[in-house]
Amino acid sequence: MNKGAAYLLAILVVVFAVFGSGFATTANILNIGVQSSVLLLLALPMTLVIMTEGLDLSMGAVLSLSGVVMATMLMNEHRLPVAVGAAVGVGLAFGLANGLLVVALGLPPFVATLGTLGIAQGLALLVSGGQSVVGIGDALPALYGREPLDVPFAIWVAVAAFVILRLALSKTRLGPYVSAIGGNREALVLAGVRANVYHVGVYVLAGAMAGFAALLLTGRMSAGHPTAAIGMEFDAVAAVIVGGTTFERGKGSLWGTLVGVLTIGVLKNGLNVLEVSSSLQVASIGVLVIVALAIDSMLQALKQRRHTPARAA
Amino acid sequence: MRGISKSFPGVRALDGVSLSVDAGEVHFLLGQNGAGKSTLIRILYGAHHPDAGEILLNGEKVRLASPADARALGIAVIFQEFSLVPYLDLAQNIFLGREPRGLLPGTIDHRKMHAEARRLLGSLGMDLDTHALAHELGVAQQQVVEIAKALSQNARILVMDEPTAALSDHEIDRLFTQIQALKASGVAVIYISHRLQEIAAIGDRITVLRDGRKVTTMAAADAKPADLVHLMIGRQVDTTYRHQFCDQPGAVVLDVQKLEAANGISGATLSIRAGEVVGLAGLVGAGRSELARAIFGADRVTGGTVRLNGRALDAGPVRAVRSGAALVPENRQTEGLALMRSVQDNVLVAGMRKWFPSGWYCARAAATIASDVVARLSIATPSVARVTRFLSGGNQQKVVIGKWLTAGSTFFVFDEPTRGIDVGAKAEIYGVINRLVADGAAVLMISSELPEVVAVCDRAYVMRDKRIVGELQRSELSEANILRLAMHHE
Amino acid sequence: MKGLAYRLIAVAAIAVGLAFATDVFLTSANVLNVLRQASLTFLIASGLTLTILTAGLDLSVGANVGLSACFAATVMKATDSVTMGVVAGLGFGALVGVLNGLMITLLKLPPFIATYGMLWTLNGVTYWFMGGETIHGFRPGFRALGSGYGLGVPIPIYVMAAFLLVGGVFTRYTTFGQEVYAIGANREAARLSGVPVRARLTLVYILSGAMAGLAAIVYLARLNSAEADIGEPLTLPAIAAVLIGGTSLFGGVGSLTGTLIGALTLTLVVNGMNLLAVDASWQPLVTGAIVILAVWIDVITRQRAEARV
Repeated sequence: MNKGAAYLLAILVVVFAVFGSGFATTANILNIGVQSSVLLLLALPMTLVIMTEGLDLSMGAVLSLSGVVMATMLMNEHRLPVAVGAAVGVGLAFGLANGLLVVALGLPPFVATLGTLGIAQGLALLVSGGQSVVGIGDALPALYGREPLDVPFAIWVAVAAFVILRLALSKTRLGPYVSAIGGNREALVLAGVRANVYHVGVYVLAGAMAGFAALLLTGRMSAGHPTAAIGMEFDAVAAVIVGGTTFERGKGSLWGTLVGVLTIGVLKNGLNVLEVSSSLQVASIGVLVIVALAIDSMLQALKQRRHTPARAA
Repeated sequence: MRGISKSFPGVRALDGVSLSVDAGEVHFLLGQNGAGKSTLIRILYGAHHPDAGEILLNGEKVRLASPADARALGIAVIFQEFSLVPYLDLAQNIFLGREPRGLLPGTIDHRKMHAEARRLLGSLGMDLDTHALAHELGVAQQQVVEIAKALSQNARILVMDEPTAALSDHEIDRLFTQIQALKASGVAVIYISHRLQEIAAIGDRITVLRDGRKVTTMAAADAKPADLVHLMIGRQVDTTYRHQFCDQPGAVVLDVQKLEAANGISGATLSIRAGEVVGLAGLVGAGRSELARAIFGADRVTGGTVRLNGRALDAGPVRAVRSGAALVPENRQTEGLALMRSVQDNVLVAGMRKWFPSGWYCARAAATIASDVVARLSIATPSVARVTRFLSGGNQQKVVIGKWLTAGSTFFVFDEPTRGIDVGAKAEIYGVINRLVADGAAVLMISSELPEVVAVCDRAYVMRDKRIVGELQRSELSEANILRLAMHHE
Repeated sequence: MKGLAYRLIAVAAIAVGLAFATDVFLTSANVLNVLRQASLTFLIASGLTLTILTAGLDLSVGANVGLSACFAATVMKATDSVTMGVVAGLGFGALVGVLNGLMITLLKLPPFIATYGMLWTLNGVTYWFMGGETIHGFRPGFRALGSGYGLGVPIPIYVMAAFLLVGGVFTRYTTFGQEVYAIGANREAARLSGVPVRARLTLVYILSGAMAGLAAIVYLARLNSAEADIGEPLTLPAIAAVLIGGTSLFGGVGSLTGTLIGALTLTLVVNGMNLLAVDASWQPLVTGAIVILAVWIDVITRQRAEARV
């Protein structure tokens, strides 16, 4: 689906440009970028998690919680770096919890992270008292509003995250080892690598980036809201799957995820321009995920049929 | 390796096995499935620890606490299930865990890695693109990458588990050339294979394991394949082997014509009559289980026909079972039973339609039916409610057979029915098979134990390379004849 | 059986604890309320139990209940007929079940991700369908289904009891039920024993959807209103109820009775928190923690069972 995702994106862009007035303007393109920036921060580590045949459903709730924590700290007049640190710390804690539940205790990832989703959600509601946390001062909005070279701050952050993560995957052992955890974990262990550490690390990264994404989310809303990011984990999963990463064998690509994120961003934006309701947008992404999975499943089946089985009894 | 013993819960896998291998030799390790070869290798590789015994390398005692230790000492294993990561490229696979370091801390020097990978593959006569992903390669090429991986670890001892199982003749020749090169450079090769004909090509010495013990070690030049097969299988104590052979078989029950299947079977034609026990013989890898599964519908059929009592079996296991077919699989625990369920539940699962046609299930009636079957087969269990996991191997097998008795099957496929079962239970199972055919059933029995085939079957088909290569009638049925047909060369 | 007994004792222990902790607990109003709420959770979780028994999962049940309820409400208002509304709700729930079943058996998608995609699709459709509006005010006869009493006992409890009876009979006294357990215990062995696995699985997901549809009707009657978000908080408690009740995520082990006990346990815990004036924000937290704990026990039980020979 890797090339397929790129074609899909191209088709969508063309369709919306033709049928939607106001779609193909610089302002709108930048808008898509900004809207997609938080999602990219979530989808990038989610790619790694899915490559290890796992899933992190708690990312949305953790992001909300981190946002609330950051906003509360800003409201109490802590300095911005400290508030960001706190948000990342919250994310790290949840990431570590997820990693330990999945790797050390052996719990199925989707259920384990479903549980931590509830915990994070509950904490977000508690810390915020169920309300938006406003009055976060000027530091964050000012930072968020900056536009170096006329490109919004959020896009810079997202691109930086992509570049850093991409470099890390391709230049260090992180890339091969994450793929190996999903593709042939035994081989990795037999090679003498501490697979467990990398496996937990993937979840820790996911949590940390969810926490870090609070910087952009809180900046965008100028507030922290306990349910702001509900469902974003689904968008992240959708972006990863549409981008061609699947649940088996360690196949995955950050570029694919980037395309996936842009596809979702374009889809949502384009549907907006065409005045389709936002709830239908959500539904359409759901359908998109299922279709992407179905296509992948059918391609796998075709490949199986073509190969004669190699191993005899 | 001296006096190695190893036990697992319920099973004594190895009992005082000793194996010595010289530098530059190719040492064949032979034995049936379950004889202990895998366990011995896993101990050598550091994945298991022996309960007793010691390992010496170049005369010095070593302790292999983990695969990393084994690697460091130059021991490399190429398993049957390859240890390649599908979506990493060849260089990454070869150097997994030992990537050369780059300039910045934590980075990898890709150029060096790929150059070295190319050199290693080149030394094996292969010119592959090291940037190709592992899953894109054919099996033979993947195997070469595995060898390159072992070489990159400066292996002095290389263990190869069934290396030629999926290779073409040409690829096998190339592999043997590579092995000769390894020999010349002083590497010791422990070679596990069922293809006895390969011994003549590259073997120096042979060790035979059976039931966890070493039977013998001999020079390859002295070994005759027929003798080796005997050594591997051994002579069981003859108890009630079947004596009543079927003189008047009934009507044709199973009729298979030119069967082709996705699992590799091609051109299979055979027939079985009521009252017969027909054997399906051949060496491991000949395709016997594949044929059985294709007949039963467990694997996808791509050509030909299978008719059971006149009805076409072309719709998978559901149709097969409803037409009266039964499959007693080789892996009884993973494919024949639901271990977590009770004896009663397992016995009834194929007989639902027969005993409860209305769809209503009565546990009490089921218990009665199950108790009946338990009594008929003399299954040793405190009650039918016992979870099947706790039964012995022989009794588990009887539960599987009981399942089909309950379903009222008329055609039985037995795949290695007495493997891993003690002698007493073996005799009981032969008795069961006897009774089945006396009542008019037809039986297809896959067995690697030649004496068993000769003593129990009315006649036998012999397979080789996924094809049926011959049929032996009662008068022709002998171990020698089976081996002659089953082996590649004379 | 042993497991169920322990769980029942746990429920009793919690109840006793709460009775001591607050006077309000043992009032008839509160007890009936707890039973009513547990019944609703049980209805939603019962179809889910079936899917989990086959070693699968239906994450979309909550959203299914939400959309089916909204659909039923719309039809009921439009046709002014309770019957039509009920049929609509049930039918729609079953339809979702059919789609889930096809995705899993025909397209061979992993259940958790397929139903997860369905969850969000249904979610989006629900919001779009309702367009931000609320439908309320149904006929008293209908509302009695959710809020009424029969002989002093809330009606949903009768529904739940009926369900438990029918469902229990279904799983224990039909060949279909036996085959469901067989598939969950070892899918390949079941297939090789002639069990029509794909057909049974499809039916299981259809049932899961249909039961969600039924739960939607009762839910609708109870709330007397329908809006887009009613389905959202339902999924996690349903999963928790099933897991607490002893049904294993790995398949082959569990029962509807267990799910009922699980629903009771969860409802008691939530009720206790409410009575003790604990902030409602703690509920998702506690539910999440309970889910993790229950799965952990499931994993350990599995490991121990497989280690014993």
